[in-house]
Amino acid sequence: MLKRVVAEAAANLLASRQRSALALLGIVIGAAAVIAMLNVGAIARNETIRQFRQLGTDILTLRADGNTGLGNFQLADLEALPMELPAVAEVAPFVIGGGSAQHEGQVAVSSQLGVTAAFAQVTRMRMQGGRFISDYDRYELYAVVGAGLAQQLSTPYAPVRVGSGLRIGRYVFTVIGVVEPMLPSPMMPVDIDNTLFVSIPNVRRIMANPSLSMAILRMRPDADAEAVTAQLQRHLGPKLRDQRLSVQSARQLIAGMQSQMQLFTLLLGAVGAIALVLGGVGVMNIMLVSIAERRREIGVRLAIGAEPGDIRTLFLAEAVLLSVTGGVLGIFLGIAGAWGFAWLSGWEFVLSATAAPLGAGVSVAVGIFFGFYPAVMASRLDPIEALRAE
Amino acid sequence: MLELVDIGRSFRVGPGEVHILRHLSLTVAAGQLVSIMGGSGSGKTTLMNIIGLLDKPTSGQYRIDGQDVLKAEARELSRLRNRLIGFVFQSFFLLPRLNAWRNVALPLMYRGTPEAEARRRAIAMLERVGLAERTEHMPAMLSGGQKQRVAIARALVGEPRVILADEPTGALDPKVSQEIMELFLALKREYGVLILIITHDPGVAAQCERQVVLADGVLTEAPRGC
Ligand SMILES: Nc1ncnc2c1ncn2[C@@H]1O[C@H](COP(=O)(O)OP(=O)(O)OP(=O)(O)O)[C@@H](O)[C@H]1O
Ligand SMILES: [Mg+2]
Repeated sequence: MLKRVVAEAAANLLASRQRSALALLGIVIGAAAVIAMLNVGAIARNETIRQFRQLGTDILTLRADGNTGLGNFQLADLEALPMELPAVAEVAPFVIGGGSAQHEGQVAVSSQLGVTAAFAQVTRMRMQGGRFISDYDRYELYAVVGAGLAQQLSTPYAPVRVGSGLRIGRYVFTVIGVVEPMLPSPMMPVDIDNTLFVSIPNVRRIMANPSLSMAILRMRPDADAEAVTAQLQRHLGPKLRDQRLSVQSARQLIAGMQSQMQLFTLLLGAVGAIALVLGGVGVMNIMLVSIAERRREIGVRLAIGAEPGDIRTLFLAEAVLLSVTGGVLGIFLGIAGAWGFAWLSGWEFVLSATAAPLGAGVSVAVGIFFGFYPAVMASRLDPIEALRAE
Repeated sequence: MLELVDIGRSFRVGPGEVHILRHLSLTVAAGQLVSIMGGSGSGKTTLMNIIGLLDKPTSGQYRIDGQDVLKAEARELSRLRNRLIGFVFQSFFLLPRLNAWRNVALPLMYRGTPEAEARRRAIAMLERVGLAERTEHMPAMLSGGQKQRVAIARALVGEPRVILADEPTGALDPKVSQEIMELFLALKREYGVLILIITHDPGVAAQCERQVVLADGVLTEAPRGC
């Protein structure tokens, strides 16, 4: 019975192809927008998780700001933190700058960080070869390079590896370690892959006005970011005198990114909803035109013994079939759109499990909602009037 | 089998009312072939709609096999139409998107007959009306006479007790018209079905065993051979 109804509805829709295609378009666009929205949301969530996977979420970054520019921490104040605040596990203060380095005629511009040994622990970096800067290196002309920077400075005959010499300004540093490739983290002001590390005492040799303005800190696993932030403000604030201390937590950043994503998702959702409503109105319009054209057919069916319910089913099936077809096409289009978004933004594509069923469900609902009124109209036609229609 | 007593039907037109049928009575026994003649606008189609349970009279009584059908509600009326009555129209009214056998099978479909059986019976009925070779044709590919044969097959396929034909030969030329008339006569003999034919053609009416004329809202029996 159902099969017969669907087959008949399909035949009727095919008989007026152009009109059906037009109504289809609205549904396709609406469903595609809804699906794309859901999937882009899933892609963005996945990306956020991916970005924080490397560093973890129990990270805080500290920055001192003076009245005219970057501020200055006292190294000893920062290094004392794990002992003074129980919620702090490790602290890695760093000096940030940038400039070019030369190796065998290759020149590359990169970030440059002056760090302590703790930096490797806090960021959980791993070495591809050699070791990281240690606290005993002090004025030794040693440098550690990120994986990307090492590649940029390499030539086919002379790869950058442990023992290579890098000219930075007037000095030649010896590479003592190469870091494994790492994902960039939104918590870090630099991309570790494209960074050169030296000891803090050495920064004076490669930067004009170095200031120890930042630190990255790992909390103990059960610590609360907000409480630690408050503790830090209380503890470090007075020591900084007229400088300001700003603390950013990974969770805060994630929340910010998520609310931004939510806004975007909502916007796309609104576009999708509007398109779906327009598509639904298109379906309704087509059904009304089709019913007006087929009044006599309805009359004949009623005369032959069709019940009003049969007529209603006939037209409802057409509306639902139309919107389901639109919905299925929309699912493909929406997923393709989300894939394109992932491709353009360089993010990893993931298929949202809810997108396809929800899109299909919504388009069926639209078909029933907007098909119902015309179908009921058709079923209420007076057979005599309908038979008289030309 | 059909019993109409004192039927009145009036339509509201603007402020006034027009009485198309007044105090009309008609009794037809099962298996009779009756022609109804009457001038244009005399109310023949109106009467047929009432007999066919598509319309209700404003007054009077209507019984089929003693059952008061004016009391039946919409679903019951659909069922009665489907089981008891077959319609044949002047301009055939085949569904343009269904082929010949699917058109014929339609009344069976609405009864819930399985498709395979409906198809078998529809094709058998098409063979009976002389269209064995045309079962898969679409209506647009059939001539007027052939279309009317399909329509007659559709009216008959559900084995109704009554066939109502509103000017079934009105759109056909005299030769084809005569063939259709002969088909009606043969079907009446074979199936014993009651047939009411509305017609303007005295030649058609003359072939019916009973002839009535509708004028001024009432029916009068015409003497045989008028
Ligand atoms: N719904 C209606 N409202 C008002 N008047 C109507 C309605 N239906 C029919 N009539 C009128 O009733 C009269 C009879 O109509 P009907 O169709 O029964 O005539 P008929 O005898 O079948 O005519 P014809 O031979 O031309 O087919 C006509 O004057 C028509 O205008
Ligand atoms: Mg008429």
